[in-house]
Amino acid sequence: MKHRRSLIIHFSRIRLLAKKFVLVILFLAAFVLMLLNKTDNAIIDKTSGVATDVVASVVDVLVLPARLIANGYDFIKNIGNIYADNHQLRLENQRLNMIYNRYKSLEVENKLLASLLNYVTPPKVDFVTAKVVAEEGSAFAHSMVAYVGDTKVEKGQVVLSDKGLVGRVDKVGSNYTKIILITDINSKIPVVVENTRVRGILSGDNTNTPKMIFIPLDADVKVGDRIVTSGVASVFPSGLPIGKVIRVTKNEIMVKPFSDLEQLEYVKIVNYNVVSDTLIQNTETKGKENE
Amino acid sequence: MSENLDEDISSLFQRLLPFVVSALLITIFYMPLGLFSLNGIRPMVGVACVYFWLQHRPDIFNLWSVFCLGLWDDILSASPLGSCIFGMLLMYMLVNLTSRFFNAKPFIVLWYGFMLLLLVTMFGKWLLISVYYSRFLPLSMLCFGYMITIAIYPLLSLLLAFIQNKLMKD
Repeated sequence: MKHRRSLIIHFSRIRLLAKKFVLVILFLAAFVLMLLNKTDNAIIDKTSGVATDVVASVVDVLVLPARLIANGYDFIKNIGNIYADNHQLRLENQRLNMIYNRYKSLEVENKLLASLLNYVTPPKVDFVTAKVVAEEGSAFAHSMVAYVGDTKVEKGQVVLSDKGLVGRVDKVGSNYTKIILITDINSKIPVVVENTRVRGILSGDNTNTPKMIFIPLDADVKVGDRIVTSGVASVFPSGLPIGKVIRVTKNEIMVKPFSDLEQLEYVKIVNYNVVSDTLIQNTETKGKENE
Repeated sequence: MSENLDEDISSLFQRLLPFVVSALLITIFYMPLGLFSLNGIRPMVGVACVYFWLQHRPDIFNLWSVFCLGLWDDILSASPLGSCIFGMLLMYMLVNLTSRFFNAKPFIVLWYGFMLLLLVTMFGKWLLISVYYSRFLPLSMLCFGYMITIAIYPLLSLLLAFIQNKLMKD
C-alpha cells in the first residue's frame, strides 16, 4: 500500500515536470516562429499565405450570416426611401470624392509638369477589387484580409479605397491576401506635402493617426495640408492621396487618413508595374523574333 | 457497440467544444461588421477565452488547446507570428500559478483576477513585440485595448458559461 502511494506521488511529480517541460518547449516554439518571421523566410511566407487562405475562408463563410444580420438591423433602422436615398448619396459621395482627390493631385502635378517639356506619361495600371473579410485593430497590429479570387496579386502591391491609400499587400494566398494598413507599425511610406512639396516618411505606429517623420527642421507644414505619396523609392507611385495634417508639433506631424479604415468593405489592389512588365516582355519577345 | 461509439463521439465533442467555441469567437471578432471595435481597437477575445476555460474547465482545455488557439489568432492577425501564442501561453502559465487562489471563487473575484493577469499578459506581449520591432509600441492603444477587453469579459463569460452549462457535462 505504502509502495503504491509513493509510486503515485512519483508519477504525478514526473507528470508535473513533463507539463512544465512542454510549456517551455511551446514558449520556445513561439520564439522560433517569431525569429523565422523576422528573417522574411520564403517558406514561412508561403505557409503563412496558405494558412491565411484556410482561416480566411472560414471567416468568409461566417461573415455572410453575420453580415445579413447586421444589414437586417440597418434596414430596420433606415426604413423605405430614406435607406435607398442614403445609399444613392453614399455612392455619389464616393464618386465625387474620387474625382476631387484626382483633381487635386492632377492640379499640382499639372503645375509641375507644365515647366517640363519632355514629360513621360506614366503607364496605365491594372487593378482588382477585393472584398474585405476580416480586419484587425489592436495595439499590436493593424491589418485586414481581403478576398481576391483567382486574380494574381503580389506582395507589395498598393491597396486603395475610394478616398485614398489604405496600405499594401503583405501576404498572398491562393484566394485571400493579407493587407498591412498605413496605420500599422510596419508601414513606412515616402510622402510629400501636396502644396509645399516638403518630403518625409509617413510612419505607422499602430494608432489611428500615422506620423510624418524625417522632415526638414524649417519645413512649412500646416494643419489641414494634404499628404500624398511622393513616389520616392518606387514603392508607391506619386500623387496618391493619403490624408491631411491634423497636428503639428516640434517633433512630429500627425496625419489623419482620408479613408475610414474601420469601415472598408471593398478595396482596390493596384498593380502599377503590370504594363511596364508586359512591355518589357513584349520587347524581349520581339527582340528574339528579330534575331 | 453503437452506445460506445455514441459515447466516444460525445466525449470528443465535449473535449473539442471549448477550443472550437474560442476559435469561433476569435474569428467573429475579426469580422468587418463595425460592431466589435471601438475607435479601431478590438478586444483580446482569445486571451479572455483562455482565462475562462482554464478557470472553469482545466480538465479539458489543456496546453495544446492554448497553443493551437494562439496559432489560429496568429494566422488571422498581422502581429508577428508567434506573438499571440506567446500571449496565450503566458496567460496559461499565470492562471496555473494562481489557480489555488482563484479556485471556486465568485465571479467578481475571477474578474479582478482577469484584470490582473491580463495586465501582465498584455504588458508581456507589448514588451516582446517592442523588442521584435526595436521600438516601443504606443501605450495609449494598449491601455484602450486592455479596458475594452476587461469591459467585455462579463458578457463573454456569460456566453461561455451558458455554453458550458447547456452543452457540456461535468
